[in-house]
Amino acid sequence: MPDQEKKPVDTAAIASMLKKKEPEMKRVLNYCLRCSICAESCFLYMAHDGDPQYMPSYKVINSLGKLYKKKGNVDREFLEGIKGLVWRNCVLCHRCYCPIGIDIPRMIDFTRSICRSEGVYPEQDGGESWL
Amino acid sequence: MIIAERKPLDEIKDMVRGYKRVLNVGCGGCTSICLAGGQKEVNTLNADLKKALGAEDVHLEIDGFVIERQCNYDFFEALDEKAGNYDAILSMACGVGVQFVAERYPETPVFPALNTVFCGADRDIGWFEESCRTCGECVLAETGGICPVTRCAKGLFNGPCGGTRLDGTCEVDKDTPCAWYEIYKRLKAQGRLENILKIKPPRQWENQTRRSLVQEDYKQRYIG
Repeated sequence: MPDQEKKPVDTAAIASMLKKKEPEMKRVLNYCLRCSICAESCFLYMAHDGDPQYMPSYKVINSLGKLYKKKGNVDREFLEGIKGLVWRNCVLCHRCYCPIGIDIPRMIDFTRSICRSEGVYPEQDGGESWL
Repeated sequence: MIIAERKPLDEIKDMVRGYKRVLNVGCGGCTSICLAGGQKEVNTLNADLKKALGAEDVHLEIDGFVIERQCNYDFFEALDEKAGNYDAILSMACGVGVQFVAERYPETPVFPALNTVFCGADRDIGWFEESCRTCGECVLAETGGICPVTRCAKGLFNGPCGGTRLDGTCEVDKDTPCAWYEIYKRLKAQGRLENILKIKPPRQWENQTRRSLVQEDYKQRYIG
């Protein structure tokens, strides 16, 4: 595992993880009406003056949504690219509100699992800035 | 944030000795941030255990896995699928997480790989300081934002005691500032010295039973 960062991404493993939850995850991704009501329930969105990158729906659509769109066929750069969205931009506080009941934290959690399975996770020892 | 540190390797080794398949579960919450129980630390501990037990000719099959929180069952789904495949689980969460994992899988022995040390703040990378004892009777309003329970060696609610040295340090340790002298200086600078004269009643330490909290707005939901 420690050398995992240097290995190519196991796209088959990611596809398998995605497949396992596809019926549920694709359904909720399709349910999202882009109504943006979730935005103001996110304290990070509010604290960042309404920066859309902190909007709960944005975070999910641009991470898990893209993973499904690409059927898991992504490279390390892609996973590193969504890392900020699912870690820095979300603390998994479970306070986001969706009027049609989409469990947004569950989707972020799943996206983090996919990243972790490929050795992509935040460095907490000052290796990167989250600010 | 909850701060923890890894237990000595020998102690962890003794816990898992005798089990063939062990799952080491990291936590993506506080113990990741305090560099004690995140994904990197899971990998390191597994390598250390394999090496140490290997030197004793003990074969241990150990896998690592991280869930985002061990203190919230909402994040246990992926672990549920794995837990049954192992003889024992090591948890790299705080004591809260370890107990939650043990409660979730009551048939599987669950061992703590960390010592949960305190609630604290980040001074710098890898440097944490205790700031709160979660006593449940916060007096910071009257003590200039300096916690006497945490920072006074005697945890005095009404201080200082007679043990403050002339240079403002504590009689218990010459490198530790007297919390009540610090409180005095802070209140004086803010023109609020009258606060220090208020006598606070003794804390009811005997009531240290397990605490549970339901926020006011949720009482209808859980209590009725």
